Amino acid sequence: MVGFKTEEVNKQSKRPTIETIFKLEAVSTVYEGARRTAIKNVNLTVKQNELVYVVGPNAAGKTTLLETINGMLPTFKGEVRVFGLNVKTHGRQIRCGIGYVPQDFMVKPGEPYTAIDVVLMGRYGQIGFLHHPTEKDKAKALEIMKLIGVDELANRPIGKLSGGQQQKVMLARALAKNPKILLLDEPFSNLDPDSRGQIPMLITKLHQERKLTTVIVTHDIHHMLDKCNRVIVVSGGRVTFDGTPEKALPLVENHPHTTSLETHYH
Amino acid sequence: MGLIGVFVVRMRLSAIGYSMSHGAFAGAALGVATATNPLLTGVLFASGTALFIGPIADKARLHADTITSIVFPLNMALAFVFLTLVPEVGLSSQVANVLWGSIISMTTADLIYLVTLFAATLAILYFVWKELFAIMFNRKLAEADGINTKPFIYLIIFLAGIVITFSLKLVGGLLIYALLFNPASTILQFSENMRKVVVASPIIGMTTTVTGLFVSLFLDLPVGSCIVIVSTIVFAIALLLSPKRRRKEENEK
Repeated sequence: MVGFKTEEVNKQSKRPTIETIFKLEAVSTVYEGARRTAIKNVNLTVKQNELVYVVGPNAAGKTTLLETINGMLPTFKGEVRVFGLNVKTHGRQIRCGIGYVPQDFMVKPGEPYTAIDVVLMGRYGQIGFLHHPTEKDKAKALEIMKLIGVDELANRPIGKLSGGQQQKVMLARALAKNPKILLLDEPFSNLDPDSRGQIPMLITKLHQERKLTTVIVTHDIHHMLDKCNRVIVVSGGRVTFDGTPEKALPLVENHPHTTSLETHYH
Repeated sequence: MGLIGVFVVRMRLSAIGYSMSHGAFAGAALGVATATNPLLTGVLFASGTALFIGPIADKARLHADTITSIVFPLNMALAFVFLTLVPEVGLSSQVANVLWGSIISMTTADLIYLVTLFAATLAILYFVWKELFAIMFNRKLAEADGINTKPFIYLIIFLAGIVITFSLKLVGGLLIYALLFNPASTILQFSENMRKVVVASPIIGMTTTVTGLFVSLFLDLPVGSCIVIVSTIVFAIALLLSPKRRRKEENEK
């Protein structure tokens, strides 16, 4: 267990500044369903263009944290503000500006959707009710697919792609809406050896070139640690550490699920 | 029905669709028993069932299947109670119509209703296609991309309720859900393009209905039963021929 108190590391001002992109204040999950680990009294402020790693053991509440940020889990106490807007009242609007890639997303073979169908869906929220995607939207989706390196798979049924290819398509979907925030839940799982090297590089590139605020939930952090400027450790639903990767190392080195940190540094 | 069935199957609303079919049946039975319009009571019962199942499943944190297992026999029980309430023997043919369906009892007005309903459904689906397309792929992701999914799911449930009720006269309450699911399930065995699925499903539905109708005329058997048997046979053949299934088996070898 990491012995840092949340209050010590999170003395942020109450009012969001211009560069604050999202802020959680005293956020706790209200229900404790079997499906989700609850989070407890989480305070967190993330600024524009940060690359944040959220690490912690299984069932620590990492996914709950991500889905509280984008308002997918609306049952919580406290306040979540994204882009200065309250997630409870402006959830839909906020989600149009957040790219989200959930954990272990695999499409069954035979699903009647092509890869570009799925990428284009990322823009649906922005296109708006009663409007249909235009050629411009399609061009935008293809452009993103090209950037990710999956444009050649555009017209193939998504269920026929490999795990790594599907992961890239999901990343393209999250990026198709031109988001300001990217939330990635275990983006390095399901990857074939080739993609294991490519995906972290791609995420770093996107973060740097597009000034994307990126939050990555993972237990496999050795790929990209030197590019990230902040590590948050979640354990038992609480934020137990929030600081630089260098400071995180001594705290997590005995942690069974984050040993890759150790590997990277030694 | 084949058209709306695609959405019901793909959105995993089968349990609700199933319950609603029997809700419509119970409603129509009540209509016959009380000499009111069976269409009206049918729609009321079908939408009542849908409105009942969704929120209760949410609140009680029960699986929709659990609720369905309880609501389905309840609706059937109600239907049979209502049917025994029918006072005159002369009405028994009407009872039989509700139970088994009858093409002969279809009036021109019914036909106009059905055609109008089909056109209206097509128009509505065209406008909200984008949202439905994303929800059918994955509801959670659609929500994460800024689509408010609930109203669209309710829309499909509502449309299914209406379509079921209006088709009740043709196939009857006991078999109606087969007409909702079979065409969609059949074409989903083949196509890897959702747009083609949506076009082909109603065509399969219509073809099996007409075939069933002729079978019923030639063999002098109940129309509803014949339609359902034909559509089940078509589904079974689709299952055998399905390239998706064959590929799966090859992968497993």
